[in-house]
Amino acid sequence: MRWFGFGFNAFGQIYVHEKLMKGECSNSVNEVKVISPTELTLANHVDRSDCCQIRASWSRRASLHLDGDSCVCLEGFGASSASCGIHVKESRGCKDASISESYLTLAFSDRIESWDLQKEEKTPTWSMEIKTDNSGPPLNLPVVPGGYIATKPPFYRSLSPHLKAKSLALSAEHAILLSASGAVYTWGLGSHGQLGHGGLTSEEEPRAVEALWGMPMSCVATGGWHSVCISDGGDLYVWGWNESGQLGLPSRGLRKALQEQHSQQAGIPCQDASTSPAEEQQEGEKHEEVFISIQAFPALLDITPSCEIRTVSCGSRHTAAVTTTGDLYTWGWGNYGQLGHQTLISSDEPQRVEFFREQQMRVVNVVCGMWNTFAAVVKEEVACS
Amino acid sequence: MTTLWSKISAALPLNEEQFPLQFSDKVESSVVEMLKRCRQQLYSDATSGTSRMLNAQIILDFSWEKLNTGTWRHVDKEWRRVYSYGCLFKVAALCREDPSADEVLQAVRTCDMGLLMGAAIMDNILQVIVRILQREVRESTKEGDESEHAEVKRIKIECPHVPVIKEELAVPRMKCPSLESFNTNCLLPLKPVILEGIIDHWPALNQHPWSIEYLRSVAGCRTVPVEVGSRYTDEEWSQQLLTVNGFIDRYILNKDGEEALGYLAQHQLFDQIPELKEDIRLPDYCCLGEGDEDDITVNAWFGPGGTVSPLHQDPQQNFLAQVVGSKYIRLYSPEDTDKLYPHQSQLLHNTSQVEVENPDTERFPEFAKAPYLECVLKPGEVLFIPVRHWHYVRSLELSFSVSFWWS
Repeated sequence: MRWFGFGFNAFGQIYVHEKLMKGECSNSVNEVKVISPTELTLANHVDRSDCCQIRASWSRRASLHLDGDSCVCLEGFGASSASCGIHVKESRGCKDASISESYLTLAFSDRIESWDLQKEEKTPTWSMEIKTDNSGPPLNLPVVPGGYIATKPPFYRSLSPHLKAKSLALSAEHAILLSASGAVYTWGLGSHGQLGHGGLTSEEEPRAVEALWGMPMSCVATGGWHSVCISDGGDLYVWGWNESGQLGLPSRGLRKALQEQHSQQAGIPCQDASTSPAEEQQEGEKHEEVFISIQAFPALLDITPSCEIRTVSCGSRHTAAVTTTGDLYTWGWGNYGQLGHQTLISSDEPQRVEFFREQQMRVVNVVCGMWNTFAAVVKEEVACS
Repeated sequence: MTTLWSKISAALPLNEEQFPLQFSDKVESSVVEMLKRCRQQLYSDATSGTSRMLNAQIILDFSWEKLNTGTWRHVDKEWRRVYSYGCLFKVAALCREDPSADEVLQAVRTCDMGLLMGAAIMDNILQVIVRILQREVRESTKEGDESEHAEVKRIKIECPHVPVIKEELAVPRMKCPSLESFNTNCLLPLKPVILEGIIDHWPALNQHPWSIEYLRSVAGCRTVPVEVGSRYTDEEWSQQLLTVNGFIDRYILNKDGEEALGYLAQHQLFDQIPELKEDIRLPDYCCLGEGDEDDITVNAWFGPGGTVSPLHQDPQQNFLAQVVGSKYIRLYSPEDTDKLYPHQSQLLHNTSQVEVENPDTERFPEFAKAPYLECVLKPGEVLFIPVRHWHYVRSLELSFSVSFWWS
């Protein structure tokens, strides 16, 4: 399995450009905004073809090598200028990891540890013992027995056992939980509709998303202000803020920003961030388009042509989904190249990342950092003629 | 001849070592690293303008996300400072190499974004720089202003429905009362009154009479928040950021046939544009309150005829000074709140559900029984709205008011 990354690379978290290796910082746009999927070089010493998992924050990327002698390697901000990045010795034997801008959390079979990435210390900032048995479900951070690990202190938060938490996605201010029975619960701030209960109020405790009741879900993900989940049947549901088109629904904010960009490039002085109605009519499109800036209830997103979604991940304002047929679709904020369409344009419509098709690669997984995207691929089986 | 960049440069610290970048632990070290890159590029010639813009934009994008996380009240001031630094670096990048007229306007807008959304840094350097930039803008637009006078004629002259004030319901008036008299007759008993003659000395009514031309010259290129929609309780209501020129063109002069109402409302314009602050004065009567002079909130209210503030109450005393145009205002006592049907929600519990000039008598039967006072407030007059007194305001024509919230 090989991994490709695209999007924000100001700290060398996708690939390290020559200047960074020499200790200078590169400021070329092409190197900071990686618009074309670029293969990740994985730590030299890891002598196997399988890098199991990627985790990413704003300025870093963590590679989890989980075969045999497992460990976590960090790239990006703070990594040494050697091409393999930091080898986190303290991570030997870990089963899972999660990363935020401030902390690296490691899950071992008998304990959880959170390490402060801002300080260089020999011991974790926080740790706690856990009991796992090999017969139980594998560790799936941030879920841990009895609760979950938050992105900032207090780290351990308990969860009611009746929720039967199977997986959990966290953003800075909201959380979405998938139960063993396929039910979805959300809590936290709701000001942008990201909780999916139909309003803008916050919830202190996990509350079931009633609109999805009766439809078992298999995967949940959160962006900065939006939530996404996949049904057992491979349908994608989205809700929350759509200011950059991250829901894949028509976004007025996006159209305005694109027009502003366009008129700046064309040399037309543009003072205001709002569109004048006269311009829109000139384009000849008289149909009334319904724009959605906040979707407070889950909406089914059609990713045309019809296909089943296998897995989904979100950055702060973009979304990436992998189909069962091995295609990667992305949409939302694209200013740093995180959509992978070889442009810096945002999109409010899901679009396929053609690169992988052209390379005859089958995408099998996707993980997003805040402003970038990482896709795992295997070689497409060549059809026998 | 000094270039724009040399003027801006002179306002900045002498060198990298003297440029402060101090933040609390809340700001992650990766962000501080990026800020340091920006600072290094600010004092180095060996870097491209594209690169400077890129790094400034990274700071802006990251802090923008922080500013939009959680409730505005709880956003850590540090992130607003970071945002202001981002604006500063972006402005420097825009103005460094012989900027075009449009780039200078972009720089003004960037300063305004920092002033509106950020927090003061380096002795309010964005305010210092925007003043330099405004001078630059004014100098380059001195020619070609004949079109201004023709514009004023385009403003709609018809004033639909000027209400006739019933004498028995008229807000009482006093001309230049003494502090004692105002205190005894109005403030202590919490009775509304129109004060006449107390702002006659304002430069806004004398040396610099506020007009569309004057506002354009003093603040035309500055970005301000505008409320769009008939009233803030409507579903279609929204806020936009426009330049003062853009606001005047679209919502006062209706240049592009815009039908919606735009209102520059409840904005601390005088903090943002100090030149306008010099045209007004704090009413002396504010000293009768217990609060500090520094705690007085001064807001600008500028818009075309037809803007409406739905019936609502505020938690402070209010002096509403009318400078340009006239407004119809109705006042209800807090004692009659039970007949005014306030919204139940937390967000709007200080706002009545009733449309004052078109009440739904079926849904709100008690409203007709609530006693009220009314007036047409004209230029030079100041309305005292006692704390928590319900008030409804409709502009009858192009209007500019200044409100003082004090305790």
